[in-house]
Amino acid sequence: MNHTHIASAFDRDLEAVQAHIMKMGGLVESAIRDAAHALEQRDEDLADEVRRQDRAIDELETLINEEAARLIALRAPTAGDLRTVLTVLKISGNLERIGDYAKNLAKRNSVLVQSAPVEDATSGIRRMAQAVELMLKDSLDSYIKRDVDLAQDVRVRDGDVDQMYNAMFRQFLTYMMEDPRNITSCMHLHFIAKNVERMGDHVTSIADQVIYLVTGDAPADARPKQDRTSLMAEPREN
Amino acid sequence: MNDMRISERHVRTDQIKFSGRGVRVFYGETEAIKGVDVDIEDKTVTAFIGPSGCGKSTFLRCLNRMNDTIDICRVQGKITLDGEDIYDRKVDPVQLRAKVGMVFQKPNPFPKSIYDNIAYGPRIHGLARTKADLDVIVETSLRRAALWDEVKDRLAEPGTGLSGGQQQRLCIARAIATAPEVLLMDEPCSALDPIATAQVEELIDDLRKSYSVVIVTHSMQQAARVSQKTAFFHLGHMVEFGATSDIFTKPKDPRTESYITGRIG
Repeated sequence: MNHTHIASAFDRDLEAVQAHIMKMGGLVESAIRDAAHALEQRDEDLADEVRRQDRAIDELETLINEEAARLIALRAPTAGDLRTVLTVLKISGNLERIGDYAKNLAKRNSVLVQSAPVEDATSGIRRMAQAVELMLKDSLDSYIKRDVDLAQDVRVRDGDVDQMYNAMFRQFLTYMMEDPRNITSCMHLHFIAKNVERMGDHVTSIADQVIYLVTGDAPADARPKQDRTSLMAEPREN
Repeated sequence: MNDMRISERHVRTDQIKFSGRGVRVFYGETEAIKGVDVDIEDKTVTAFIGPSGCGKSTFLRCLNRMNDTIDICRVQGKITLDGEDIYDRKVDPVQLRAKVGMVFQKPNPFPKSIYDNIAYGPRIHGLARTKADLDVIVETSLRRAALWDEVKDRLAEPGTGLSGGQQQRLCIARAIATAPEVLLMDEPCSALDPIATAQVEELIDDLRKSYSVVIVTHSMQQAARVSQKTAFFHLGHMVEFGATSDIFTKPKDPRTESYITGRIG
């Protein structure tokens, strides 16, 4: 297939809207990294910066939505072009949600710094956030390269993030049972871990979009879900 | 994603109306259609799309033997209508064309009254025994073409005095007056404004309940709007044939994708 349109402005519009997705993706990657770093370092300034940056992410989402609407109205895209516009809309929505979760991490940071740190909880969250950040980077790479194999790999890796979340869920339950003074921090930490796990789900959804974009069909197999916490009771005594 | 307008797309019967096998068409030494196999379903709108000179109109004209009128044109292969070979020596092309009506790019009403434009076909085919029968056919055809209310008070006026959109609907009414089974349309809306185009498209959707409709169009959006099946022609080949919603969201052939997305094919 030839890759340039007869109407070259159409190509420019499509490229522009995809460039905005990449810019948004870059901002969201930093937000995850900085939020997790701020948490581990108990750095309130960095956390505030993450909260401020979220506005730029939201504005990009609005811009992308407007551009996509304009493309649909003016160009009536079909086939691969149509799928590009549809996936751009969904991916910007996913990125915006991930940005919100990062902002929420930063918000909870201001409460957490007021109480004693819970042993190695924040480093666990940072490792989990790192895994999600790398998945996000790979999903955006797979989008630009139209690489189905890489997108498939991202989907599989979401299972690891779910496993990490399961482990943290158990860990926080244990801490809370050990010492009720941990409850406030652990409740916040648990929400943070849950939010990072949700980020992973949104990244997986981006990978799903890549598969749809390239093949024209949504992935046939259900997403590998490993989050088992909805079935968990009290941790067993060791 | 299979049905864009679910409520209206349940009429299809999956019965094959036209069937083409190894169809090849030559104009003198030039091969315009290079072996096309196709099954056209009953009560379905099938759109033929493709760049100029791809053979889509030539193929459409094979379906009611309009190419017989061109001396240097030869048709090979087999085309059947309800299982019967339409190029069989026994088949009378005039009878065939009564069963397979055609509407052309430019509205071409006869230089006669509105009434006579519609009545002409039924008269020569002996479809009406009395004037009353004929009146009924004229009214039903005009109603089906969504033109009756606009012309009922001036049936004696010349058809050429109508607006372009009305003339085209008059031609459609004329085509359905002989109770055809298939309606072929060659760029029926290219000379019409958007309102008249929308009216004709609405009409096509309505006609589909009774007929198989085959439409050649340069407007891909029109093909997407009115048809359930789309065939993409390129350089005399039928490159891809499938459900319209698939062709416009996930075509299989890169040439189809290039053409419908407006890339250089």
